[in-house]
Amino acid sequence: MRVTNRIKRSLPLAGAALALVLAVGARGDAPDRWWSPGEGRVLPASLDYTNEHGALRTLVVGGPLKTRGHPFFEPLGANGRACVTCHQPADAMSLSARTAQERWEATGGKDPLFAAIDGSNCPILPQGEKASHSLLLERGLFRVQRPWPVRAFNGQPVTPDFTIEVVRDPNGCNSAPGYGPGAGNVSVYRRVRPVANMKYLLAVGFPFDPKQGYALPLDPDDGKPQSGNLMADNRAGNLRLQMEDASSVHLEFARALTPAQIKRIRDFELSIYTAQQSSPAAGGGLDTMGATGGPAKLRDSQPGALGSIGTPVWSEFAAWDRISAEDAAKLTPQQLAFRQSVARGARVFRDRTFLITDSAGINSRMGFGNPVRNSCVFCHNMTQMGNDVAPGQVDLGTTTQPFADPWDDLPLFRITCLNQPHPHYGKIILTYDPGFALTSGKCADVGKITLQSMRGLSARAPYFSNGLAKDLRGVVDYYERRYKIGYTEQEKQDLVNLMSVL
Amino acid sequence: MRSLITLAALALPLSAQAAETGDLVRFVSCPVYRDADSGKKSGCWLATDPATGRRWDVSQSPYKPNWDFAVLVEGRVSAASADPCGAPVLDPVRTSILPDPCTRHMLPAEGYKGRKFVLPPRNIQPLSVARPVPPGPYAERVFTTYFEFDRDFLVYQYDDFIIDNAATWIRAAKPKKLVVTGFAATEPETVSGRTLAERPEIARDRAEAIAETLRRLLPGLPVETKWEVGAKPTGDPDADTIPGQSQRRAEIRAVF
Ligand code: HEC
Ligand code: HEC
Repeated sequence: MRVTNRIKRSLPLAGAALALVLAVGARGDAPDRWWSPGEGRVLPASLDYTNEHGALRTLVVGGPLKTRGHPFFEPLGANGRACVTCHQPADAMSLSARTAQERWEATGGKDPLFAAIDGSNCPILPQGEKASHSLLLERGLFRVQRPWPVRAFNGQPVTPDFTIEVVRDPNGCNSAPGYGPGAGNVSVYRRVRPVANMKYLLAVGFPFDPKQGYALPLDPDDGKPQSGNLMADNRAGNLRLQMEDASSVHLEFARALTPAQIKRIRDFELSIYTAQQSSPAAGGGLDTMGATGGPAKLRDSQPGALGSIGTPVWSEFAAWDRISAEDAAKLTPQQLAFRQSVARGARVFRDRTFLITDSAGINSRMGFGNPVRNSCVFCHNMTQMGNDVAPGQVDLGTTTQPFADPWDDLPLFRITCLNQPHPHYGKIILTYDPGFALTSGKCADVGKITLQSMRGLSARAPYFSNGLAKDLRGVVDYYERRYKIGYTEQEKQDLVNLMSVL
Repeated sequence: MRSLITLAALALPLSAQAAETGDLVRFVSCPVYRDADSGKKSGCWLATDPATGRRWDVSQSPYKPNWDFAVLVEGRVSAASADPCGAPVLDPVRTSILPDPCTRHMLPAEGYKGRKFVLPPRNIQPLSVARPVPPGPYAERVFTTYFEFDRDFLVYQYDDFIIDNAATWIRAAKPKKLVVTGFAATEPETVSGRTLAERPEIARDRAEAIAETLRRLLPGLPVETKWEVGAKPTGDPDADTIPGQSQRRAEIRAVF
């Protein structure tokens, strides 16, 4: 089975990529791709896995790590899952839809990954059927059940300034007995966020959350300002709160994590770095010919810097704008062209501006104006990481009509704002996932999703919180549609190439 | 907005005189975005005073318009002769978003360049940059933050700068407590034929919003809140000579 999968993986790859896959495969990469809970393997200090665009490298500071008995890797709860089930090294510590499909095929759907609780469209559905897991298999989505009315990041109840009604419930988890707003909960479906490079997601650049109009909230554990960059809806203010939620929900772990377990998980989360390391299309390492791609740079840099006032975002690849004739001679013309395209892509990302409209968090309530001219880097502004230095809750439209794709396999909610109407949608909003509003309780926050890290993208398709972009081109196409950018075909390809090497 | 146009027509003879440098201009109208492009944040905001028919460049406001809603413009006629947006410039200027809907209008650049973005003077350093300790002696002192019309939202690159400076001083000065007083401009005034008054409750909302921010920045320091309606203009320099701006404020008083 594993071998078949590996060959299937290689099929779409052209010449050089195929050679690379086979070379890595020969080193024994492929059989080890899937990390099963409790298998007790040693996680090497440096580990490469291939993907469609080359190879991803994972670095563990202080590694190798013995995973036997480690709470991130052991099945703590009733369903046989561990954290690693959904946060896989080969998938940039996230989980791609393709990996979910491979697990289904390899286990006949018996892998704990598909546990009814959130690895199926809804626990009320017949669990043996593939169709009951279609959202995970097709778009890599897990069910996330939030309390209704709302609870804030610190678990405090919040009185929402909106009502929520279920317009459509294709899976039953918003209307069957025990489910839905009437029963005190709301189910949405989301992608796994990568658990790596965490120091960047926890970094605090400035003392304020300008999108909410307050100083940053303080961490209940250490009293320091919180970054506000965890989880699609920012429901967990720090790693402890996040892992307590994760262990009780995803792992169905009935007890509380011990302080020792919390510390070990946290230490691990802070020690793991991942990024694309090599690209056959570029003819080799992403840290060659002056570039500084790959996870080592991430590990060794200070987190939290704003690209616009320091090291520009994706300047890792600036040297490829001026590859010397001597270096160029070592590359095929295609490889040279690819490297130049990546360097251009970084400039397109930073400098090619367009009108950003109707995106709450940016166009309201902050005073940037609606519209405002800017580029990708306006929101994806942290050096080396491409997340937001400020808490990154922005409504890109990915989960909300009219901009979201018309997925009829997702639940659809009608939000009615009780006080002020939403500044861009008005009083009534149709959404698949209210996002941050499920934490803040504010209708002005409906549809806001926390920006993710942009590293290791090649290993973890599909993209966006609800998996609407099936590949990197799909990401660019979404932005093109959303903001009518008018990118040339070359600019689109440059952006795709850039993102493929992050 | 209908009444706005009729009343504005009546007011025309009164206010149609030529505007001189430093004159205060105040009106309500629908904003127009001009798609000038000199890179990020370089687009232009224009608004026409319905009483005079004069179009102004209002782009320099710290809180910019939303093309779906009317704005209250308050600004002073600038001495600048350059017109990068194709209209005479109000600077300093404020554009407060009002709830009245507008039809979106966008003009092409028509050769106008807009302004290349420069960081406004009120911008804060990252936390990684240590703030110099402000020198003593320390005694009772007031810091004032400012708001958009009828809102309690902390203004980016304006209030955050003022509060960051205040917090740095307060950390050094170690007052016994802070008293935050929110103000609201609740006296009705007629602007462009429209009666404008802030809601009284916004005074309290302002006090509480600023107090919450101070509690986060200065944990452990007691913060009390008060509020006052009927706010009068002040001469505080951070209101940038705009009387309406000076009314819409919250004062942070450090008490020893
Ligand atoms: C069933 C799959 C699954 C399992 C098992 C799982 N997670 Fe997750 N994890 C997710 C999903 C889905 C998200 C995103 C949820 C959201 O945004 O609402 C996530 C998000 C996270 C994040 C936030 C990352 C970010 O950038 O915002 C962290 C940290 C995390 N998980 C840690 C853990 C830990 C620790 C465990 C084990 C205790 C664990 N996860 C187990 C699916 C899983
Ligand atoms: C207005 C702010 C904003 C701008 C401008 C912006 N993004 Fe995003 N980006 C977001 C938000 C918010 C998300 C998270 C949305 C979601 O997951 O549903 C996101 C997510 C992404 C992701 C998905 C990452 C993942 O893990 O799934 C990629 C890739 C991305 N953006 C690339 C780009 C590119 C390329 C551009 C320029 C064309 C761009 N962004 C411009 C706000 C922005």
